Amino acid sequence: MSPANLLPPVAGIGLRSPHVAQVRHDRPAVGWLEVHSENYFVDGGSALSALEAIRADYPISLHGVGLSLGSADALDAGHLARLKRLADRIEPVLVSEHLCWGRIDGRHLNDLLPLPFTNEALALCCDRVSAVQNALDRPLLVENVSAYLRFEDDAMAEWEFVAAVVERTGCKLLLDVNNIYVNAVNHGFDPLMYLAAMPGDAIAEIHLAGFDASGACLIDTHGARVAPPVWALYRAAIERFGPKPTLIEWDTDLPALNVLLDEAAIARAVLEESNAVAA
Amino acid sequence: MQSLREVQRGFAAATVFGDTTALAALGVVGGGLDPIARIGVYRNNVLGNYRKALGATYPVVRRLVGAPFFNAAVDAFVRAYPSRHGDVNRYGGELVRFLAAYAPARELPYLPDVARLEWAIDQAAIAADAPPLDLAALAAVPADAFERLIFVLNPSAHFLASAYPIQRIWQVNQDGFEGDDAVDLGAGGDRLLVLRGANGVTIERLGAGEHALLTALARRAGLGEAAARAAGKEDGFDLTRALRHHVEAQTLVAIRVPASTQPRTGR
Repeated sequence: MSPANLLPPVAGIGLRSPHVAQVRHDRPAVGWLEVHSENYFVDGGSALSALEAIRADYPISLHGVGLSLGSADALDAGHLARLKRLADRIEPVLVSEHLCWGRIDGRHLNDLLPLPFTNEALALCCDRVSAVQNALDRPLLVENVSAYLRFEDDAMAEWEFVAAVVERTGCKLLLDVNNIYVNAVNHGFDPLMYLAAMPGDAIAEIHLAGFDASGACLIDTHGARVAPPVWALYRAAIERFGPKPTLIEWDTDLPALNVLLDEAAIARAVLEESNAVAA
Repeated sequence: MQSLREVQRGFAAATVFGDTTALAALGVVGGGLDPIARIGVYRNNVLGNYRKALGATYPVVRRLVGAPFFNAAVDAFVRAYPSRHGDVNRYGGELVRFLAAYAPARELPYLPDVARLEWAIDQAAIAADAPPLDLAALAAVPADAFERLIFVLNPSAHFLASAYPIQRIWQVNQDGFEGDDAVDLGAGGDRLLVLRGANGVTIERLGAGEHALLTALARRAGLGEAAARAAGKEDGFDLTRALRHHVEAQTLVAIRVPASTQPRTGR
């Protein structure tokens, strides 16, 4: 397998189509860019050629939302083949997917749905992660997802489940700090305890995003600035694990590119502070 | 304890279909919030994602019927036509067929054809790239081979025929359209070519002969047969002009010269 992590611990942003032209034109000083893999599962066209142009200037991370690692249905070989084709074409620094499910009995729900934290689900996820790593011939990063419910049948805590997948498969971890915070509030646990259970050496990327707090539970909308308690948790994570490549994600109500770059600058300051302490 | 498949099956029933019996069997931890409210978050997310995704693919359909009607139609479509791919961008082509049979849309008989046009535009944008036709190769075709010459069409080319003026309907419903937005539904139908050429995705109205020529070529008919079909549809059809235009527009991107169909000798 190729080296797990060719990306220095710098800040990046999620690149969404409304910002592509500006990024190509302005070439903002940001360490790397991440795109949703599925948006480039195409045969041709301007979006793909734009990404091919951008990859000359920035390290690219491919972030999947639709592989459905935790589905009782078999892994979708066609989806995996398209991911492989894209990875061969773009040569990303990182390839990641979510630790969740999205398909059952052939029906896709096209969402990041919560797994029961059972031994059955754990074994299945481990098999799938290993299969994907073999198919791609590189380590996969798996990401912890936000959840609005959990199951009475859970045999372990979420952090135990996540850590076990990493330990059993040798995959890398994309630690979404916002998702930890959202779940801590929604399910009533201490987010620092979650951090303490994470295998620091396996963390190859961190995600930060904004949530919506207007309803009965926190919703991970990727539609706002990173909330102050999430920044605090991020600082705690960097203090604990050392600097890690960090990404600002924004999907709904996408603001001007500068807003994302401002958020990335905050993350960069945290990372640089950590580097300075280490030096 | 439910198997993973049972949990996921129940979750899908509770979200997509609002099945409360399935929800009860899921064993959702309440924890200060009703399980119905918890699954409701996912129900909103799942259906909301589809409303948004299909609204982006079908902006004119959405505008023609209004958001509440569109959203209800999408919810019903999702139940009737499951998404078959983890890539949501591939979802929605069957909306055309769904709308044709959707009773609440019966008063808008042109709606399925507008949907067909929007899906073609969506697909044209992501079709494989194709270099323009090599004119030297075309010039090198011997005159006696023209009859059986096969053209390869641009992978983005889509043909639509409708009894309604769907190009006009599409045009007046674009953001920023200015001017008279009246559409005369009796103005006659359209034969359209949707194509991604050098200038991005375009919609072109085709004459009867042109449409017959290109659709015949698209199914790999030889030039002789395709030209005959075009001439049968349009008196005085100008084949040379049509070919020149569609080579320049990159509708036609390659040629194949099949071996002669003359009886073989020497066996």
